[in-house]
Amino acid sequence: MAAITEKTSDRMTVRRVQIEGNRERYAWLFMRLSGVAMLVLAVGHMVIQHVLNSSTNLTLQFVAVQWSSWGWKAYDIFLLWMAIPHGIRGLFNILSDYVHNPGLKRTIGILLTLFVVATVIWATIAISLFDSAMIP
Amino acid sequence: MQATLRIRRFNPETDKKPWWGEYTLENVHRTDTVLDLLHRIKWEQDGTLTLRRSCAHGVCGSDAMRINGANALACKTLVSRLGVKGNEIKIQVEPILGLPVEKDLIVDMEPFFDHYRAVLPYFITDQPVPADGRERLQSQVDRERFDDTTKCILCAACTSSCPSFWADDRYIGPAAIVQAHRFVFDSRDEGMNERLDVLADTFGVWKCRTIFNCTNACPRDIQVTEAIAEVKQAITSGKV
Repeated sequence: MAAITEKTSDRMTVRRVQIEGNRERYAWLFMRLSGVAMLVLAVGHMVIQHVLNSSTNLTLQFVAVQWSSWGWKAYDIFLLWMAIPHGIRGLFNILSDYVHNPGLKRTIGILLTLFVVATVIWATIAISLFDSAMIP
Repeated sequence: MQATLRIRRFNPETDKKPWWGEYTLENVHRTDTVLDLLHRIKWEQDGTLTLRRSCAHGVCGSDAMRINGANALACKTLVSRLGVKGNEIKIQVEPILGLPVEKDLIVDMEPFFDHYRAVLPYFITDQPVPADGRERLQSQVDRERFDDTTKCILCAACTSSCPSFWADDRYIGPAAIVQAHRFVFDSRDEGMNERLDVLADTFGVWKCRTIFNCTNACPRDIQVTEAIAEVKQAITSGKV
């Protein structure tokens, strides 16, 4: 009986593929990356605000102390940049499962995008310009 | 033991709406399958009960149905797995969801097979047949990559358990993605660009919300959600 003695390569064949880029693909990638980022940022935010500090002490003065440093302003702005588009994209995903009319789906998409852009710009300006010295 | 079966019935010639039929069977054994019980009802009580089945041994994939709320093959589901209480068992059987019911437990599988055909589920290559006229060889490592997805029997248990598919039947569905995976990750196949173009579309893999219903439903224990994730990664990275 002939035994099978041929030794095959241990290396996996990896090939390149060319696929046209579309919005869904980048949106999916953003959801994954922002999800990982928020795992650190949002959990960190919660630990600082609710575990290390009591949520009953969450006053404007507390925020003023935190936002006197640009590091914490940047932390919160970055968390916002991740959280708002992530949440709204998730909402759009759910809606797009049930809204089958292409026109209506497009309109919802545009409105939600405008909401995200406006909220992100507005909140970024608000946090950036926050002056802790103005808070008594 | 005694079994009470509640079966979703619908005859398009006489019924306006589906209804529940109740059937009681005596001398049921823990080792009986749900298909055995459906056979007994059809053969001993009501010959109009309509269902699909062929091999009756979990290979052909024709008797996927919703048993006690979860998709499974009737021929692979033992009574003992369905929560026997004392000497009694209650079982509810419905057709799989998301596909049009034709009669009783039979659904129209054509929309499902349309999605299956869309991913070109056959070997594509321009390479000539090997000189010895035999197999196109590949390494064990390369073969291993799509081993899991070769097990699919096209029963539709996964696709019809998917809420994304229930909500929008234009979604290609887990079964078609599994079939595409089998060829996309085969180092001998050259049709990956065409297949991934279909899967990268709005109604391709992005409709998957990673809720794992498909993986739970698969009677062949295929890691369906993992296969879908591998396709998403291939599209995003441009590498298979």
